[in-house]
Amino acid sequence: MSRWGDQLSQIMNPDGKAEALDDTLVLDLSFANFSGIITASFFAEAGAEVIKVEPPEGDPARVMTPYGETVEGVGIPFLSEGRNKRHITLDVSQPDDLEKLKKLVIKADVLIESYAPGEMDSLELGYRQLKELNPGLIYISLTPYGQFGSLAEERAGIPWSDLTSQAESGLAALIGDLPDTPEPYNWPTRAGFYAAANATAVEAATAALVALFYKRATGEGQMLDIATADAYASCVGIPPTFGHVWKHSRMRYGTLDYGLCPYGFFKCKDGHVAIACFRDQDFRAALKILGRWDMEENWRSLLDRITDDVSKVKELNDEIEKTVAKFTYDEIFNKFSAYAVKAARSKWKGGGMPVTTRMVSAKEVMDIEHWQARRTFSEVEHPVFGVLTLPTAGKMSETPPRIKWISGQLGEDNDFITKKFGL
Amino acid sequence: MQSDYQAYARDLFDKDKVNSKPEALKGIRVLDLSHMIFGPTAAKTLGQYGAEVVKVEVPYQGDYWRSSSYWGKFWKHANPFWQFINHSKYFVAIDVKKKKGKDLILQLAEMSDVVVENFSPGTVDAWGIGYRQIKEVNPKIIYASCSTFGQYGPFRYMPGWDLLAQGASGMLAATGHPETDKYFKVPDFYGDFFPGVYAAMLIMIALNARERTGLGQYLDIAQAEILMRALPHFTYNKATGKELERTGGNDPTMSPSGIFKTADDAFVALAIGSDKQFLGLSQAMKEPGLADDSRFTKAVDRLKPEHAKELNLKITTWIESQSAQALIDLAGEFGFPVAPVMDDLDISVDEWRRERGNVVNFKDEMYGDFVLEASTTLMSGTPSRIKWLTRPLGYHNRYIFKELLGLTEPEIQKLEKERAVGYWDFKVGQRPPVYYDIDNDPLFNYEK
Repeated sequence: MSRWGDQLSQIMNPDGKAEALDDTLVLDLSFANFSGIITASFFAEAGAEVIKVEPPEGDPARVMTPYGETVEGVGIPFLSEGRNKRHITLDVSQPDDLEKLKKLVIKADVLIESYAPGEMDSLELGYRQLKELNPGLIYISLTPYGQFGSLAEERAGIPWSDLTSQAESGLAALIGDLPDTPEPYNWPTRAGFYAAANATAVEAATAALVALFYKRATGEGQMLDIATADAYASCVGIPPTFGHVWKHSRMRYGTLDYGLCPYGFFKCKDGHVAIACFRDQDFRAALKILGRWDMEENWRSLLDRITDDVSKVKELNDEIEKTVAKFTYDEIFNKFSAYAVKAARSKWKGGGMPVTTRMVSAKEVMDIEHWQARRTFSEVEHPVFGVLTLPTAGKMSETPPRIKWISGQLGEDNDFITKKFGL
Repeated sequence: MQSDYQAYARDLFDKDKVNSKPEALKGIRVLDLSHMIFGPTAAKTLGQYGAEVVKVEVPYQGDYWRSSSYWGKFWKHANPFWQFINHSKYFVAIDVKKKKGKDLILQLAEMSDVVVENFSPGTVDAWGIGYRQIKEVNPKIIYASCSTFGQYGPFRYMPGWDLLAQGASGMLAATGHPETDKYFKVPDFYGDFFPGVYAAMLIMIALNARERTGLGQYLDIAQAEILMRALPHFTYNKATGKELERTGGNDPTMSPSGIFKTADDAFVALAIGSDKQFLGLSQAMKEPGLADDSRFTKAVDRLKPEHAKELNLKITTWIESQSAQALIDLAGEFGFPVAPVMDDLDISVDEWRRERGNVVNFKDEMYGDFVLEASTTLMSGTPSRIKWLTRPLGYHNRYIFKELLGLTEPEIQKLEKERAVGYWDFKVGQRPPVYYDIDNDPLFNYEK
């Protein structure tokens, strides 16, 4: 068994392996829209030739970057998504450049765009025109409200942003502190990263790969229409079903959980530690370990710890909070581990399985040996931008995703692509 | 917009034509050995595009998520949130710990294209249905092992799920208000669902590769790594030497940005990305001079903390004087991102989501009328679809064992007697709804 675990790190070693999509050409025409950019990145990591096509003045996404911080004038999220890509500039109002774009379209498998619905169509670059040039084209449109329907018309002029997508798809309404806390702590809150862009991108890329699979069998392309204002609700599925079944909305629950209690990260002496008890035996184990068996009688069954009565559940949560505050993370981790090992070895299976982890910051994550052993982070060097550190996900034994280079300067690959595709 | 474009697009994605269009993954079989959310979401995603998903559960126990729910409240004796994760699947209940049960699973694996599992690392291998064993009977198999920390590396035996993955990846530390002790998790198991779709994407990459090479492969899909992939924090930290702190309702990559309260006490989000959008905003505010102020003309300058703060103060005051609807109208007219903060109820009754078919009213033979998310991605050629909602534990035993494995009625009854296969016990979430006449259900009693 342990040998299999050791063999796996060999089996999953990406060096020198084939790439899944090195026969695929993707054109990313998305504009000021990270859901389009990240969709393209997923193809690039899997080996596709991905060309980001920008107008001569560049994509505004280049400087959507925390606090305006750039590396040599290029924003950090844009650089991070520049993995394995080519960046070219074309001015489609010029006939020469328009011809070049069409030459690329003829060879492309996937095209990504994010202009207002109908805008590409009015430039004769919509799906119905380009499919005449290339019937196998998979054409992805990413807009807040999609290509048709009431809001696609009424709000056609409203562009994409991650924050507005989080808000409109039900995410922001669920993050924030309990109603009785002062403003703005009880207000809707943003998930602190591009939660909507990433959800949309992975759904768009998955559907495009489904379309590509179908194209391999039939030669047929198709159009994909994605409404980014539904990003979160369509990812987790819960908001519309909750509203339909219960005919009301959930209030913001702070650090509590809608499912059960205790279930969250609690402040300890030197950080935050997870206490999450699914079953009665897990709860009992946690109480024993934390020295709070006195609580058992009042909170014995799962039904006592279900969280529909917020005042009651807060009482339980506060007790756990007070107790956890007395320990260091290592004290809790070591107690939990020792208990779990003993319970797993016992013939009696009712001992519970207390599991914990520490909340870590991004900086701390990179120092952890486990992620280093898995090569979760790649360092790549660029002549202008220097060395950049980027995360990748998903280990594959035959065609692993990987980072080969970074490109990010405006028009950096104009010559390369002109030559390669005879433009 | 060309006048006929709307009509063209509407026709291209016509809801009434979905069922007459082909399914891209027809003929692909997915053996879904997974439970809870992460693995089942990956299998469901493939299923909605036409793959045949056979979900294997433990008899008389089932997927634990069947019998859980928010606030302990159920709907028609089922967890309503389980429907979204497991619709259109075939439900069989096989005990892998019985020799005959394990053989049935191996037989199903032999005729499958994809296996998905999300037990603690090492578990399926110990049961004899891991990648090592299944590739012996089916060398072309694409085998996806989903876990929190991955199948190798020093943490490989550490179990986990959404909450722990959010804590261990740096995601949890990213959300909340600066200089407070509270860190908010992304709710509703985002740390399972997002990686679930991500896993489907990786499986699709492997299926595309197999079309070219004929080779199957092993996928080690760690949800904590997938959450890290969504964070710019690592690259930012290495490039600047600083850590990205929590920013409450603001997006530090957009300026101005935030979640604001309107004159009519509604919440709206506003986030300005491009210089053109900022110009539009300044015109909407009737302060066109703002865009000429050298601190605000260019995005990199607007984003500087002191400038962003000043702009946000102006925006706060301006939004307090406007109704939500007026702001949305101005955003459309002047071209900048604004959206209402929508909650569960808003989304469940929202018209445009229904028009598109993102949220659907589904009529199911067992559960009747139900509202759920279909897919946000509409495909003109091979659209996704929902065929049925979930079914009780072991509901498709007869159908699958007879149709796929060629078992006879006496053979099945013998397996039942030996408890190698089974059904529901009386627990909520496993059993059929009380009003449902299961004894006369032709599929449940298939050729009995």
